[in-house]
Amino acid sequence: MAAMEKNIYHNKALQWGVYAVFFIALAIIPLVQDDAFILNQFATYGVYGMLALSISLCWGFGGILNLGQGIAFGLGAYGMAMTMQMQSQDPDINPIPPFMLNNALEELPFFWEPFWNTSAGIFLALLVPTLFYVIFGGLMFQARVAGPFFAIMTLAILSALATLFIDLQPYTNGVNGISPPGALDLGFVVVDPYSSVSYWTVFVLLLVSTVCAKLLTQSRFGLVVQALKNDSERVRFLGYHVAFYETAVYAVSGLIAALAGCCWAFLTQYVSPAQFDVGFSISMVIWAAIGGRNSLIWAIMGAFMVQGAQSYVGDEFLNSWVLILGLFFILVVRFLPGGFAGLTESLLGALSTGGRRRGGDVPVDVSKAGTEGA
Amino acid sequence: MLDITFASSINALILGLSIASIFLVAALGLTIIYGTAGVINMAHGEFIMLGAYASFTMQNYLGVPFFLCIPLSFLVVAVIGLIIERSLIQYLYNRPLDTLLATWGVSLVLMQGVRLIFGSDPKYIQMPSFMSTNIAIGDVSISLFRVFVFAVAIALIGAVWWLFYRTDFGIKVRAVTQNKEMAASFGINSSRVYTMTFALGAGLAGIAGSLFGVLNIVLPTMGMGYVVEAFLMVVTGGGSLLGTIIASGVTGEAQSIFAFIFNDTFARFLVFILIVIFLRFRPQGLISAGGVRR
Amino acid sequence: MAGVLEIHDLRKSFDAAKVINGFSLDVTELTLQCLVGPNGAGKTTTIDLISGRQKPTSGSVIFRGDDITGLSEHEIARRGIGRKFQVPAVFRELTVHQNLEVAYSRETRVFRNMFHFTVPGCAERLEQVAVEVGLKDRLSVMAGTLSHGETQWLEIGMVLMQNPSLLLFDEPVAGMTEHEIGKTIEMLNELKKNHTIIVVEHDMGFVRQIADIVTVMHMGQLLAQGSISDIEKDERVREVYLGAEEEHA
Repeated sequence: MAAMEKNIYHNKALQWGVYAVFFIALAIIPLVQDDAFILNQFATYGVYGMLALSISLCWGFGGILNLGQGIAFGLGAYGMAMTMQMQSQDPDINPIPPFMLNNALEELPFFWEPFWNTSAGIFLALLVPTLFYVIFGGLMFQARVAGPFFAIMTLAILSALATLFIDLQPYTNGVNGISPPGALDLGFVVVDPYSSVSYWTVFVLLLVSTVCAKLLTQSRFGLVVQALKNDSERVRFLGYHVAFYETAVYAVSGLIAALAGCCWAFLTQYVSPAQFDVGFSISMVIWAAIGGRNSLIWAIMGAFMVQGAQSYVGDEFLNSWVLILGLFFILVVRFLPGGFAGLTESLLGALSTGGRRRGGDVPVDVSKAGTEGA
Repeated sequence: MLDITFASSINALILGLSIASIFLVAALGLTIIYGTAGVINMAHGEFIMLGAYASFTMQNYLGVPFFLCIPLSFLVVAVIGLIIERSLIQYLYNRPLDTLLATWGVSLVLMQGVRLIFGSDPKYIQMPSFMSTNIAIGDVSISLFRVFVFAVAIALIGAVWWLFYRTDFGIKVRAVTQNKEMAASFGINSSRVYTMTFALGAGLAGIAGSLFGVLNIVLPTMGMGYVVEAFLMVVTGGGSLLGTIIASGVTGEAQSIFAFIFNDTFARFLVFILIVIFLRFRPQGLISAGGVRR
Repeated sequence: MAGVLEIHDLRKSFDAAKVINGFSLDVTELTLQCLVGPNGAGKTTTIDLISGRQKPTSGSVIFRGDDITGLSEHEIARRGIGRKFQVPAVFRELTVHQNLEVAYSRETRVFRNMFHFTVPGCAERLEQVAVEVGLKDRLSVMAGTLSHGETQWLEIGMVLMQNPSLLLFDEPVAGMTEHEIGKTIEMLNELKKNHTIIVVEHDMGFVRQIADIVTVMHMGQLLAQGSISDIEKDERVREVYLGAEEEHA
């Protein structure tokens, strides 16, 4: 499109090029690094990246700020952990997970039954959160609850779920959570968390979800979604059912977060109500904001940067780290609403127009820039 | 279910009033700030936390009596609110989602700052011993302090109502809320009104903190629990003062009744779900605050 | 000529205030009808009630034989009513090209649009509309950086992309320069050859140059209707409305 030639940041071919370089770099890591612990840590970053991606899709492109992405992440993680737990049970000898016995359950609860089957379990781990998003999002968007109010409702539901999972001790093992004894067995391969297998699994899932999300933003659907972020009322008067579009983009982002939850469960072999922690869900928003919510790939890199820096400073300075992160986040919101992506966009914009800038054609204001972003 | 006697139902209702008064005290400052300036202040919970630490510090290191700690906490947190508004919030009034995020950043900083200064171990605020006695209302017994919290809630409603509807400042606030440009043409400095309102809202959170610090332990993370509930009251109420009062009353009672039938956690979950369903049919909340905010 | 839109005894009240108070109107095919009246006469509210932004308290709106009263905005839009807002509403962070692309709403299904990058016929129509509204050279520009007049034209273009059979324009020349108004008049006179249009306006000078039929509203009711010369002769209209207008006309 002639439209985008002015700023090379908007060049679609170049954007795909950047994606290719990014994923090739990620693919090289396991070839040069064979320390299982480090690979496991990088794989966890991949999970964070997926979460930041899901936030960017929903908030950066759809304009739906979602402070409760932990809903899908947690439900996905629990689904996967339940699947893994049942893989270590035997229908004849010990059909009931130990923590249930400790909680005086004598029978496997009915909603645990499908998790005997690994495929069904994984399917449910993805379906339940997505369906939850469709129903909750549908209710809210049909009622035209939007903006900050929607954000607060997601937060409320998230904290309600956290208390519910703690409260349902016999079925979820409460605060202690579920720690399946064995690694995920997919039949053709065992996803040992401390091996390159798990790294590659996360890599492929991150790659697939990123490419799908990117394609989605370039589709007609993506265009409508970006339009309704600008002015949802206008879109309505063009004949689009706005609530359907909002629900759809919210649900797709939920699906990606659920996928991240599944990865989290097989990488850590542990899941607890901490996955529903409000602070963690807000972190996802912080990653996307710092990287640049209008850019899928920058959002992912935001997650890498923040989490990378956090593990670099180490646990000792964790307290001051959170303080610094908080301050940095405030500065980004105040002065750089487009995050690093917005910064890159303005810089490249200044470079590509150079001295021959035509009056007012290129938005310099980073807060407005970048809907078409990389 | 057979034990639903008259006395136990009354007990649930009175407990509901107590829960409602806690919701209300937590949500009051938030309502004022949102209703006037449209700012979603995610740091409100941390303002509550600061109020609790302010009371704790004054009581333990300066020997200030508890009842004096309450108004002093108001002042301390109001000043902190004032500083935050002047240095950050005032630049973000036209960007509601960004104020939400920025105030979230503020809450992180406050929480960590307090943790660095006071540590993560719980602190306690002592109340005068006579406050811990239980009093009997008919067959129901309830601690005097909870009655006190209820009384404070009523007093605060009265004070806020007086301030907003009976003073010069209140007229200015309402003028700015209705129409900022028009108010400006009458010489009302809207930026000043916002600052004062923000400080007032923060101060009210300070009062809430000094009360909640007695009801519960004082921790750097204590704000988080209150802010979500407080926001639900504002959203359900529609951002107006009366709306928040009604929303707090109804949800407080509902929670108490559900807790009586099921248990505390499930009651909370049920109330949240009911609010979602309520918003499906009345997205603007009970009584929406003036203006055309959505 | 066949009736496109029939409004029967439309009423809308907010609390005690009766904003629209028994308003009726017939719009015939291929006419440009101007809805005029002093401030607060209920012009924009009428447009809101036709396009579904507000629901009437009573009365009915019949569009091409179908009762569309109280339907939601997107349903009314899909039946072929396009609307331009008083404060121009375009997607500021999208390019002019993308704005027009979104407005080509032939296909509105979510899943269909997820798997398609283009819609057949869009490119041709876009080309055509861009010429009609004079934005052919501005396609690659962010809509947020357009001048006020260009923004108004872009929104007219978006309504045209929808390909509606009835166009509702709420003050299309508000805030435009003399030159821009002139261009818009040409545009509207061209459009009315094959579209049915309702224009809300209170600048009589502008109305004189475009209207086939003028409808005057006052206090939520129909005050007078007829050709521009009929209206200008009407004593009641003079009284409530033109009196003030005459001074600077």
